[in-house]
Amino acid sequence: MGDKPVWEQIGSSFIQHYYQLFDNDRTQLDTIYIDASCLTWEGQQFQGKAAIAEKLSSLPFQKIQHSITAQDHQPKPDSCIISMVVGQLKADEDPIMRFHQMFLLKNISDAWVCTNDMFRLALHNFG
Amino acid sequence: MGDKPIWEQIGSSFIQHYYQLFDNDRTQLGAIYIDASCLTWEGQQFQGKAAIVEKLSSLPFQKIQHSITAQDHQPTPDSCISMVVGQLKADEDPIMGFHQMFLLKNINDAWVCTNDMFRLALHNFG
Repeated sequence: MGDKPVWEQIGSSFIQHYYQLFDNDRTQLDTIYIDASCLTWEGQQFQGKAAIAEKLSSLPFQKIQHSITAQDHQPKPDSCIISMVVGQLKADEDPIMRFHQMFLLKNISDAWVCTNDMFRLALHNFG
Repeated sequence: MGDKPIWEQIGSSFIQHYYQLFDNDRTQLGAIYIDASCLTWEGQQFQGKAAIVEKLSSLPFQKIQHSITAQDHQPTPDSCISMVVGQLKADEDPIMGFHQMFLLKNINDAWVCTNDMFRLALHNFG
């Protein structure tokens, strides 16, 4: 049971930490980004820890809950880790929506930070 | 109009090429992977061009059509990352949502895919 590849362990720990922070106090998310980080949020680009933290803190909902349907992790040759998440979320009293998110993680000074983050709601409807 | 950042141009060209190959003759997808490529397909890992091509060629449908709802691209110091949200229809099956991510690297002047992750959007509401 402890046989998961290390990149899966790191990726899944990060994922758990990220959504826990997001759902409980997303103002604390700045700790996982650095000045070189990029976020693409529903097609809009944000560059750097401050801009990213501001965007996430200012999202227009009070309550948010993420539920992960599936997560995948892969290593990159330069010791980065890529994680992809497919899930559902509920903001305030809005209907549950599906989302897709990708993180590129890098180890800097012994801490795993997110250098690239892309988020999309799955807003296509059937047909 | 020609002001798209270079990584968006590279990413969107790759995306278009990938799904065109996939929908028309996926046995030709080998050209975009290298021996160091990893594919995670619905949670299963495949390592290297040969294993990846075998997996994609042996997927159990005759006809497939992808439709892209949204694509996003970002640069990294040594690569481009692309994320796609879309829908697909295989044979006479119902249309399904999918999510895919590609990490692209320039090797000898060609953009190849070193990391690929695919998931169907199989959760239902609630």
